[in-house]
Amino acid sequence: MLGYRFLSKLKHVLRPRPTPSVGFARSQEAQAVANKLEVFIDDQKVVVDPGTTVLQACAMAGVEIPRFCYHDRLSVAGNCRMCLVEVEKSPKPVASCAMPVMNGMRVKTDSPVSRKAREGVMEFLLVNHPLDCPICDQGGECDLQDQSMAFGGDKSRFVDNEYTGKRAVEDKDIGPLVKTIMTRCIQCTRCVRFASEVAGVEDLGTTGRGNDMQIGTYVEKLFASELSGNVIDLCPVGALTGKPYAFTSRPWELRRVESIDVMDACGSNITIGMRSGEVMRIVPRVNEEINEEWICDKARFAIDGLSVQRLTSPMVKSPEGYLENCDWEDALFCAAEKITRAGAGNVAAVAGSLVDAESLVALRDFLHRLGSETLTVNSEHPSDHLVNDLRASYIFNSGIVSVEDADHVLFIGGNPRLDAPVLNARVRKCWIHNELEVSLIGQDVDLTYHHNHLGETLSTLEQLLDGSHAFAKTMYAAKRPLIIVNGKILCGENGSRVQDLALKLANKLSQQHAEDGWNVYNVLQTEASRVAALDLGYKSSSKSALTKQTKVLYLLGADDEVINRADLADDCFIIYQGHHGDRGAAIADLVLPGACYTEKNATYVNTEGRAQQTRQAATPPGLAREDWKIIRALSEICGVTLPYSSLSTARQRLCEVSPSFSRYGDQEEALFFQQVVSLSEDSSESGATNEKLTNDMKDLSHFYMTNSISRASRTMAKCVQAFKDKD
Amino acid sequence: MIRKLILAAAENSIQHRDSPENNSNTKFEFTPENLKRAETIISNYPKGHEAAACLPLLDLAQRQNDNWLPISAMNYVAKLLGMANMRVYEVATFYTMYNRQPVGKYHVQICTTTPCMLGGVGSDVIMETIQKKLKIKPGETTPDNMFTLSEVECLGACVNAPMIQVNDDYYEDLTVEDTNKVFDDLIAGRKPKPGPMSGQNHRFSCEPKGGLTSLTSPPTGPGFGVRSDL
Amino acid sequence: MAKIATEGILAKLKKVKDIVKFNGGVWNSIVTLYRTDELKQGELVGEDKYGNKYYRNDEHIMGRNKWVVYSDKVGMNYDGSQVPAEWHRWLSDMTDTPPTVKPPLQHRWMIDHIENKTGTQQRYVPYSTTRAKIQSWQPPAPSK
Repeated sequence: MLGYRFLSKLKHVLRPRPTPSVGFARSQEAQAVANKLEVFIDDQKVVVDPGTTVLQACAMAGVEIPRFCYHDRLSVAGNCRMCLVEVEKSPKPVASCAMPVMNGMRVKTDSPVSRKAREGVMEFLLVNHPLDCPICDQGGECDLQDQSMAFGGDKSRFVDNEYTGKRAVEDKDIGPLVKTIMTRCIQCTRCVRFASEVAGVEDLGTTGRGNDMQIGTYVEKLFASELSGNVIDLCPVGALTGKPYAFTSRPWELRRVESIDVMDACGSNITIGMRSGEVMRIVPRVNEEINEEWICDKARFAIDGLSVQRLTSPMVKSPEGYLENCDWEDALFCAAEKITRAGAGNVAAVAGSLVDAESLVALRDFLHRLGSETLTVNSEHPSDHLVNDLRASYIFNSGIVSVEDADHVLFIGGNPRLDAPVLNARVRKCWIHNELEVSLIGQDVDLTYHHNHLGETLSTLEQLLDGSHAFAKTMYAAKRPLIIVNGKILCGENGSRVQDLALKLANKLSQQHAEDGWNVYNVLQTEASRVAALDLGYKSSSKSALTKQTKVLYLLGADDEVINRADLADDCFIIYQGHHGDRGAAIADLVLPGACYTEKNATYVNTEGRAQQTRQAATPPGLAREDWKIIRALSEICGVTLPYSSLSTARQRLCEVSPSFSRYGDQEEALFFQQVVSLSEDSSESGATNEKLTNDMKDLSHFYMTNSISRASRTMAKCVQAFKDKD
Repeated sequence: MIRKLILAAAENSIQHRDSPENNSNTKFEFTPENLKRAETIISNYPKGHEAAACLPLLDLAQRQNDNWLPISAMNYVAKLLGMANMRVYEVATFYTMYNRQPVGKYHVQICTTTPCMLGGVGSDVIMETIQKKLKIKPGETTPDNMFTLSEVECLGACVNAPMIQVNDDYYEDLTVEDTNKVFDDLIAGRKPKPGPMSGQNHRFSCEPKGGLTSLTSPPTGPGFGVRSDL
Repeated sequence: MAKIATEGILAKLKKVKDIVKFNGGVWNSIVTLYRTDELKQGELVGEDKYGNKYYRNDEHIMGRNKWVVYSDKVGMNYDGSQVPAEWHRWLSDMTDTPPTVKPPLQHRWMIDHIENKTGTQQRYVPYSTTRAKIQSWQPPAPSK
């Protein structure tokens, strides 16, 4: 333990700092060229920075060194010894992951000494590793399997055929997500380092010593982290595997589909593992700009919700008030009749949190053609005063990756740890390595790192603005500050007030940084569909939709508690289109079954304004169809046919409406940031300032079930229960 | 039998299991004197590195709590030092001198490593004597909770082999009679004088039996062997 | 003359007459011919409990020397599977001993012969015993 502590410190010291400014960077670069070191990997010359480890230098030379404990994103532990290589003039093989290069070093990665060292290490590991690969969930993607094939010895000296016993370790119960088979553990301590460095939950550790050393929690304890599933990917052997995924499929049976997560608005990149039309599991995909290589537990484990509570057939409410299955023709004609009879201005639409951009634009065009303008996102905001016409006012302008360059982050409202776990992991990383200062206004929550809690009310923001707050000085001294306003706060009751004050504060701060294009003002949206909806001109207040005039209300996946039957006229006809039978479908008169994010090729825009697309892994169940096609079909029956009939033409239409959809994967920066800020100068919102900023994500139990998919998931329900039972 | 084995395994396990006398709700707090001591220990280390005081504080807690360390004491030390509980558990399970299960009033540790096994009458004989005397095996506690016998590795008194450690005191150069006497005294409530016993004729420390064979003359003073003109 | 009586045209006519008589008159012969596409005379070997009659006439060549006339109850809906196992055995020359001579073994657990129900309402339809991969939402009852 002490060893890796020390080495982790060493790594922080060795880690190249982000360049603070352009001019400084250039001079540093010049210095760096002079400081470069020359090393020889298998007689191949590589020029590297000082502080690079031998293992990294080998990677640059294209030589893969086997490793178990070393991981790019964790501190160096150096305890598995698998990465031993021979270095000339060194009496013993050296652990390449922990050894910094020295000038003129000659490394031999494939010499007899290196090979013998690896074979020896491998033999020691295998002596106490159970031979249960056939029933092990890691089988097929196991580092130990692969590396024993590639680097292990070719014959066995294991002669314990009488089974006097390999080392055996009892399994730990660390919650409903991670299954532990600790006998398989090779003590690489990756999970321990992940828990303490990335997740910030120091519940895992190594207890005992020598042959009795174990990884575990020592006391029976839930590994309560929103990122806990990542230890499954980190574990190089089958000691930590997915509990819901246990014994379900093999990696070689899965078809991998590269897609996007929609459980939060970060748009984490994922790979869907699909077998025979069923989503078996979700694992993260590396995207340095968004999620690095982590995803939150909701993204990973809520997938069992995809197969329950599904809408598989159109349904129409019978005269007795029961929703009954019908076929598409009946459902669409019924909807068309109600819509045409309602009259031009009396049709309203509310878009929910998991809706893709294609169906949003189809619904928008459909309603416009019907002569209705009432299109809103699902939010409780009382008025439509928010400055939402300019993109800069609702996206995460500077990008998630900008946290790495920032020196001060101010969160306004919400709980970033649970609203955007991958963003919070990055903030934590920078808090450790870059001495990033973090402060929070709103209800104080556990962010896993130290932060200054400035206050709970709006008045804190006002005091910061006029400089009377004790913390204002520190705030204004920051060179690269970031203000991150929670999207839910903006949609809440005090939304416009918060936006107004935050923009003013951002303006004040950005005056110091106007020249280098540093965007201070950022909004952390929490719903995957929100930015796309606002880009497409949806209004941010559902109130206009929920009036007594509305004759037909079209709910596009809107499942939140905002929509209430009581707010509507009695004869209002509610059409619900979505994939899960949740709150929206329960109040609907007509249900149109749609596809969820794993079942369609669709566009989502994350909180940074980065358009990304999901890929179809499974087919929509039963009679369910892709959402934009349903709206297209309905428009035809209503006599206002939409002019696109394929995905590509629908996407062309998206680009016409907003150019931000034209490039996938890139963050489309918002223009007119200064104008947004100056608009706020003109506004003179005033009101009570002692109102507290609300927060519905107090602890992990609120994290697991936030949308229709995760509410349907049994695994997520188990997580909530486990968290509640843990004390 | 199997149940006994399981229980024994549980007792020696690295994993903590709640029991009536050892669970996280057991009350543990430093006495005022110990708290003062703890503060002194913590102040030995630079600010921000309070975790370095983990070892001595755990020892302090163990001394205060009848020579064993309940989970609540580990939690208490963690809180005192601002460490994560798990980091303290790691330390407490790593070192064998922390007893994580209750022990008797006298914790008897007998060294059975090679020098003790070979030196004097040999640790095997001593072990046999103790087992006969206390009627327990290594790892067990007497029913009256007076003695716990542990078989341990080298305690660093090889020159005075064989030896046992009773709580903090070493009894060295043991013979069968010495051992019996030590335990008779302890049972009678007396405290036998620690140190070398009759095995090597009650020597003072670890000097040779027949007197010194080297360094017999008094040490020379300053300036010895130095050039006279300096 | 005798030759004519046994081999000539008259003999054939007599045979026709015998066969028609065997089949119960002209009308019944026409009905049988319509049902079975042939008109035969033979020894009645037995009748099963379903009403099927089994005949044998070794004047016919092997393979045609044993036949069944299905019960009148089934009308035109006769089918090979209506023959029970023990008679099937005799019909297809697995044995020459008909079940009338050597009745089949009877056990308490044996069920009645069932004809092939394919194409009828009682046909066998296989069903899956695994749970559906997708569970549909069940709408709640109206709250009134």
